[in-house]
Amino acid sequence: MRLIPRHLGWLLVGSLFACGTQVAGQAPRGDQLPVHEVTLGNGMRFLVLPQDGAPTVAFVTQYSVGGANEHLGTTGIAHFLEHLLFKGTTSVGTRDHAAEVDWFRRMDQVHDSLLTAHASGEADSATIADMESRIDALEDSARALVVPNEFDEILSRNGAQGLNAVTTNESTIYYVELPANRAELWFVLEADRMENPVFREFYAERDVVMEERLSRVDTSPGGLLYEAHLASAFRAHPYGVPVVGWPSDVRNQTRQEVEDYYRRYYGPRNAVVAIVGDVDPDQVERWARRYFTTVPPGETPPPVLIEEPEQHGERRVEVRFDAEPAVRIGWHTVNEFHPDAPALTMLSALLTGGRTSRLYSRLVLEDRLATYVASSLGPGDLYPALFSVEAYPRSPHTTAELEDAVYAEVARLVDDPPVDIELQRIRNQFEAGTVRRLETNFGLALQLANSASLFGDWHTTFGLEERMAAVTAEDVQRVARTYLRKENRTVATLVKTPTQTNPR
Amino acid sequence: MKTAAVWTVGAILAVLAGQAEAQDVGREGALRLSFEPLEFHPPEPTEHVLSNGVHVFHLEDRTLPLMTVSARFRGGPSKFPRAYFAAAAALPSLLRSGGTTALPPDSLDALMELYAISTSFGGGGEASFASVNTLTRHLDVALDLLGDMLKRPRFDSALVEVWRGQRLEGVRRNNDNPGSLSFSAFNRLMYGDHPIGWEMNASDLEPEDLSRDRLEWVHQRVICPDNLILGVTGDVPWEDMLPRVERLVAGLPSCADPLPRTPIPTIRQEPGVFLIPRTLDQSTVVMAHVADVRREDDPAYYASRIGNSILGSGGLSSRLMERVRSEKGYAYSASSLWTTPVTHDGLVGAITQTKSGTTVAAIRLILSTMDEMTVSPPSSEEVSRSVDQIVNGFVFNFESPAQIVSRRITLRMERLPDDWLERYLAGIQDVSPDDIRQVFSRHVDPDQMIILVVGDPEALDEPLENLGPVTVLRIPGRGTTLSDTTLSPRGGRRSLR
Repeated sequence: MRLIPRHLGWLLVGSLFACGTQVAGQAPRGDQLPVHEVTLGNGMRFLVLPQDGAPTVAFVTQYSVGGANEHLGTTGIAHFLEHLLFKGTTSVGTRDHAAEVDWFRRMDQVHDSLLTAHASGEADSATIADMESRIDALEDSARALVVPNEFDEILSRNGAQGLNAVTTNESTIYYVELPANRAELWFVLEADRMENPVFREFYAERDVVMEERLSRVDTSPGGLLYEAHLASAFRAHPYGVPVVGWPSDVRNQTRQEVEDYYRRYYGPRNAVVAIVGDVDPDQVERWARRYFTTVPPGETPPPVLIEEPEQHGERRVEVRFDAEPAVRIGWHTVNEFHPDAPALTMLSALLTGGRTSRLYSRLVLEDRLATYVASSLGPGDLYPALFSVEAYPRSPHTTAELEDAVYAEVARLVDDPPVDIELQRIRNQFEAGTVRRLETNFGLALQLANSASLFGDWHTTFGLEERMAAVTAEDVQRVARTYLRKENRTVATLVKTPTQTNPR
Repeated sequence: MKTAAVWTVGAILAVLAGQAEAQDVGREGALRLSFEPLEFHPPEPTEHVLSNGVHVFHLEDRTLPLMTVSARFRGGPSKFPRAYFAAAAALPSLLRSGGTTALPPDSLDALMELYAISTSFGGGGEASFASVNTLTRHLDVALDLLGDMLKRPRFDSALVEVWRGQRLEGVRRNNDNPGSLSFSAFNRLMYGDHPIGWEMNASDLEPEDLSRDRLEWVHQRVICPDNLILGVTGDVPWEDMLPRVERLVAGLPSCADPLPRTPIPTIRQEPGVFLIPRTLDQSTVVMAHVADVRREDDPAYYASRIGNSILGSGGLSSRLMERVRSEKGYAYSASSLWTTPVTHDGLVGAITQTKSGTTVAAIRLILSTMDEMTVSPPSSEEVSRSVDQIVNGFVFNFESPAQIVSRRITLRMERLPDDWLERYLAGIQDVSPDDIRQVFSRHVDPDQMIILVVGDPEALDEPLENLGPVTVLRIPGRGTTLSDTTLSPRGGRRSLR
């Protein structure tokens, strides 16, 4: 069999350059997909893409509201709503909705008193505990009227897969896949859920959210470090606030506040639905009009005008936890629309994209200081983001050594600009990505909904490769010089601090 | 205001035009719907035998100019003596990263990344795999590189050292998260010295454990035709693939030895409560005991699948999620597990994470929920829901050609019949509520659970001892190891009812 000796390998590389544009000519282009767009009178947008393959359909509903739209005191509300929207509606999940409402009022009154008692600072812990157990008891009584998890049950029975939702800094995304013959069920259930949700089992679900926070953040060293890093880097902008919310905010939310928030921002005007799979676009349009036309439009959230003030010096934050060390270094940069965004994406790939990238090859493979290094732009797209590098030292090396090595590599970019082969490698990977991203119905639905929701146009996401192709070595050097400065960075380190445990 | 007024007019017009009314949506709307049967003939992969006896499953898919070629091997870290544990665990990763006799590691990486070939090399237990995914126009480069990596590994010493250091660091970091800590501790607890219970220790990762001799020894026993099944999906027809896959496996030497039979594991039988003390606000709970239901075409097997789904593997509507999460708010997730290996006994049990102050309450709730399944049959409603979920969602087993081919290879590796999925579909539809009660009463006993808690004993809602005598386990790597701990002399019976 034929081997590729080293020199032949590089010959092949040469030929790759010569036909570097061939991929776009052969492969289907994302921006030419036959997406059928429907916008209803109430502002609701549907993107429908018929695809060959198994008779299944993916549904993704994206609301343009997430953590960044929240304010201190009510943080975590979008994420809590993500949970509550699985609790049913005026008809799904209940034996008698009218009777439930009475119980809600009674337990909410106790909760209001509890908040007042907390605020006054006068109530003793026994009084608080008593109020909490009264709320639990009332919710238990109301449970006699609940058909538990009926929304999930109806969909499951019909063979639904992957029913779930996710909340990000700027969006809330609900999704499910159904067998193609049962697609109408989605319209029947989702139109109802959009217009008539009932936040039953409110207090138990709030406890579930607190448990989720404990798992993902409070007992997770990576989660704690991430939260502390963003909270230090962003002093004004809501990107510094965790999407799951601060614990006391989650505890203090009232059913009324949550309902009001829902009514305002979770209507058709703020929603995009992407439907991808074995569907007839005309039939989908008929269902969309039939089931969603009468849903009140709601509002779009006011723009987030708050800007993170310029940083005037390095910030450092420590997290002490019983875990091996880690470090996150973040520099303030720009949002996704800014002309520098593609060069920053290129910089990220240059530093940590793959085994040959500069930071991975130096820190992990050559100097063996680290076992892991990655970089990213985040935590969102709409507002100026943080360019972050995260790394785990390989014992006995320290996070301080990793920091020095990262800064040295960033500084080296100035004298040692990216060479053609580095940039070509990244462009080739993005080109192959243009094909791979078309592989699954669900993946396509996520991309279409996200692009239309955040950027106003589903085509935008497929322009990424073109924007990347235009980036030059000088652009990458320039953004590194402009943004990756010491006074613009925030460093978070996880410091191992064994806890004392005294087993009985 | 203006838009709202326009909308109101629109809504009235919509209602006049006969659009959705209240009863069309929600529960009544869902009940009103009826569905045409799903017409679907899933694509069948073709099976071929190469000149050296290697089987290939091929499924053409012209949707995109992409190809996936995957090599699956019988043979993995738990197939060999402990001295080869690290070498067998490292093998797939070092085939990918350690270079070839022709290409040093950095050249190999550079080629892979320039051609944007994505690779997936890994393994565990009794199997290993290596696959490439590439734009079709680079298929020949990808296959040349794959063949070179499989047949002529360099095991470059610097890259071996990188892998060793990463694994050592992984061992150190395993205790950082209560989830990974509890799983590896529980595995050790249940399987002891059997390979299934092996967790990588620093003592497995001395330089000589990854010597060239040991890596080559394992390579000669895993990466060979008798162990190999290939899967090919993408837009190249079989007649064009045949010479390519022949070349891929040409010159692959025969296996140095047949794979040994894995000894039947001895799984811990005595019930008990085990604690790994950690000062955290949330406890992680893992519990299980032995269950001798095998993955085979047998009514008890199918009853165990539907029963497990009803108990706690079936998502939000399962009993554990309904009670532990939705009703009590004790946990974000509570699920049951019931493993059914083909060749030996499995485990039945449950997993959850809950704040310290509800830990024992959550454990009791899980145990009593299990216990109910042993006493009373589930409702026919619950059974039909679980069955409908599988039957109506059956089409999702055929969403992608790669998934179809991968499943066929898995069935072959586990020596299950090719039509296993169809048998499964038929078998679960015959399960009755009483079959489930029987399989639970025969194989599940909450009193016999081995319960591990990682958490803060001082902060629990009641002493863990209330569930039975508690054995404290030290965190491996910090002082004494698990195998040093003394077990309580007798397993305690717990009173549940």
